[in-house]
Amino acid sequence: MISKVLTYKKYRRKQRTIPYIFLAPNLLIFSIFIILPAMIGIIYSFTDRTLFSFDGANFIGFQNYVTVFRDPFFIKALSNTMGLAVVTVPLMFLTALGLAVLLKQPIKWLGFYRATYYWPVMISAIVVGIIWQWILAGNFGLYNVTFQSIHAFLTKIGLISTPFTPSATLSDGRFAWIAVVFAIIWSRAGYYMIIFLAALLSIPVSLYEASEIDGANKFQKFRFITYPMLKAARTTVLILMTMEVFKVYPLVVTFTGGGPFRATEFTVQYIYQVAFQHYQVGIASAMSVIMLLIVTSFSGLVFFLSKRGESQ
Amino acid sequence: MISKRYVIRVQITASLIIFIFLIPVLYTIVSSFKSLSELFSTSPTFFPKEWTLNNFIHVLSTGNYLQYIGNSLVVATVSTFIAIVINTMSGYALAKFKFKGATVIMIVILSTIMLPLEIFMAPIFKVIAFFGMYDSLWAIIIPPAATPTGIFLMRQYLLTIPDDIIDSARIDGASEWQIFTRIIVPNAKPAIATLAIFSFMWRWNDYIWPLISIFSPKKQTLQLAIANLTGEYGTDYTSALAISVFSMIPMLLMFVTFQRSFVQGTVESGMKG
Repeated sequence: MISKVLTYKKYRRKQRTIPYIFLAPNLLIFSIFIILPAMIGIIYSFTDRTLFSFDGANFIGFQNYVTVFRDPFFIKALSNTMGLAVVTVPLMFLTALGLAVLLKQPIKWLGFYRATYYWPVMISAIVVGIIWQWILAGNFGLYNVTFQSIHAFLTKIGLISTPFTPSATLSDGRFAWIAVVFAIIWSRAGYYMIIFLAALLSIPVSLYEASEIDGANKFQKFRFITYPMLKAARTTVLILMTMEVFKVYPLVVTFTGGGPFRATEFTVQYIYQVAFQHYQVGIASAMSVIMLLIVTSFSGLVFFLSKRGESQ
Repeated sequence: MISKRYVIRVQITASLIIFIFLIPVLYTIVSSFKSLSELFSTSPTFFPKEWTLNNFIHVLSTGNYLQYIGNSLVVATVSTFIAIVINTMSGYALAKFKFKGATVIMIVILSTIMLPLEIFMAPIFKVIAFFGMYDSLWAIIIPPAATPTGIFLMRQYLLTIPDDIIDSARIDGASEWQIFTRIIVPNAKPAIATLAIFSFMWRWNDYIWPLISIFSPKKQTLQLAIANLTGEYGTDYTSALAISVFSMIPMLLMFVTFQRSFVQGTVESGMKG
């Protein structure tokens, strides 16, 4: 009898350690390659460490942060990134939601539409950059050629008489910036569309039926049923989108290269340059910490706003 | 009631949107079959006037692209295998065990989503160098194999497996590892398939980890090699378009075959994670 109790105790003890063993490989990788770098990044940001100094570095207080905020290129990259987030996130949100609502309508070939809208999500950001660079390449990319032929047609039927001037496309900073916004939405909206679509499909049909009896129109149904029911999905999507836009980089590498004249240079690209081309790891880490603070406060804000709405 | 005119209008809208998503890809693909003179023509046509494989032959015969494709395949395959093993293990622990610190561990996993590696490239480089993994394919195989998304995907699915099966196996004297390999893994096949597809796509399309960790030209992955074709002095379109098509082929095949899993996986990891 006694031995049996002991066995049971032993069994319980063993049972308690098992989940940790199963979690160990994942947690080990997370700690070493994500959490540890983030922590030493914070430490580096107070030192004069360079990329190839593995021995000691000097503690220099907030010197790096002062340098960073006096660096006009960083300020430019930061404001580019903030602007990108402010413009891209709402537009992509509306696009994804719009596409999802569209695919909830009683039309044919839904699977085909869903697949084609989603397809760009599978293309690597590097290739997305190549694709859009090729479409917008110079005067003879598909973009300008299409406008040229539209212009030619309108001239032919006598609507326009001015000669055609091709758009400067990627050599115009403003155009390039808008093109980046467009390319991000083009390549990522499909992903968020699926999240919205799943949430839409989980809304009970009875809610709509009841509202129809009460005489609700299409807009009212969206405003008072669909939109509130999408709350969880909205929060998830907003946070994921914000994170994604703040870390945009690979797309820009092959699309605009950050140009022209740093018009599309965003913080991650600049951090990369400072760390790996100027070897200023201390300064780059200070930038990383600033970015981390911004990203977390943005996501925190989204989370807070959605929680506050809940209690009302 | 929904009017017929409304349905037709929506149908037309949905069809028109297809062009926005398909034409850029289609134009890139058909352009890769254009001859040099057509690629740089001042009055290009959408489809090539004359279809040629020269760009593909050129790219495969000049660069080390077969090597890069091979590297990418090795990295994506091995990393996906590791991801399946460790993420399923974690998912099992989180779905089927009650233990101290479970909430803390969930928060740690969630917080890794909030620590974008793009931002911490320099310290990650230091850590990789410290462990002697710099310029080794292991640096782009092991670290990215642990994914919060994968863990949530597996956890969500494993919650649906009844506890009774696991308990009865325990009563029959199965060890925990046997339970994992003989009961959990076979029952989790659909979720594992989804994770495999996603993981392969992530690793195949990845740019940041190789950018931080790979130095030797011979160890480059396909995405690194494609990125190197663009630069300050313009893009080498003859190679870039053909090689981009190569990069899209495995994704296209996977997408056509496993479309349902993609949709399902996005829903499960995005919604509940």
